[in-house]
Amino acid sequence: MFTPAPRVQVPSAAANGEVFPVKTLISHQMETGLRHDDQGNAIPRKILNKFICRHNDVVVFSVDLHEAIAANPFIEFYLRATESGRLEFVWEEDGGGIYVLEHHLTVA
Amino acid sequence: MEKTRPLGFTRRTVLTAAVAGSTGFASAALTSSPPPNGDAVDLVKRLTGKTPTASDRLHLVMPQVFPNGYTVPLTLLIDSPMTESDHVRRVSVLAPRNPLVEVATFHFVPQRSEPRVSTRIRLAEPQYVLAVAEMNDGTLLMTETWVEVATNGCK
Repeated sequence: MFTPAPRVQVPSAAANGEVFPVKTLISHQMETGLRHDDQGNAIPRKILNKFICRHNDVVVFSVDLHEAIAANPFIEFYLRATESGRLEFVWEEDGGGIYVLEHHLTVA
Repeated sequence: MEKTRPLGFTRRTVLTAAVAGSTGFASAALTSSPPPNGDAVDLVKRLTGKTPTASDRLHLVMPQVFPNGYTVPLTLLIDSPMTESDHVRRVSVLAPRNPLVEVATFHFVPQRSEPRVSTRIRLAEPQYVLAVAEMNDGTLLMTETWVEVATNGCK
């Protein structure tokens, strides 16, 4: 079965108070539930419905994703550097699937 | 012998310039966009129970014309200091003429995330795309931008 591969582009170091970009991409069909197969049967919905970014276990940004998000969801957002620590990126899929990436950020 | 390229006009540079040009055009047109129409206000009222007010603090930047409805670029910017006393809680993007109207909701955290985000969305047909921001005092601000897609991205 196809396994979504998450990718994140984020700096390893930032100055205190600096705003830095985070680019995320994950390969995923984002099946809307509106389509039908060749036999005319509805293809069940299977999308990533939630994206969460945590910094040292505190949620700093999140997105509720719906069917109208394009396949292979790309999300670029901006965080303010406050302290060194662990950035965690989580994608939640219909049916309970979960995809996680971690990144260490050093704040000078 | 390999072909040389005497001028900088490769296919890539021409396409990049074209895309940059159209994005610039879209953002220029944004400042002169008309106030939200009554339908959009009614839709937001039905979904949230509150009346939104049109605001130029919200910027929804999308191409005015895009060939492919499967992956239309979208950038949202909100003018906000993001302090505890004045910040954006969340912004919802709606596509009223899609089979499913809701597109995404972005949740921001004061002093941690900036109210600025980009993604790619599906559009079924040409339409006004709406952005509705809920501020920390509960007020709703909204803006809309016209996007013309050539193919249905929801099939």
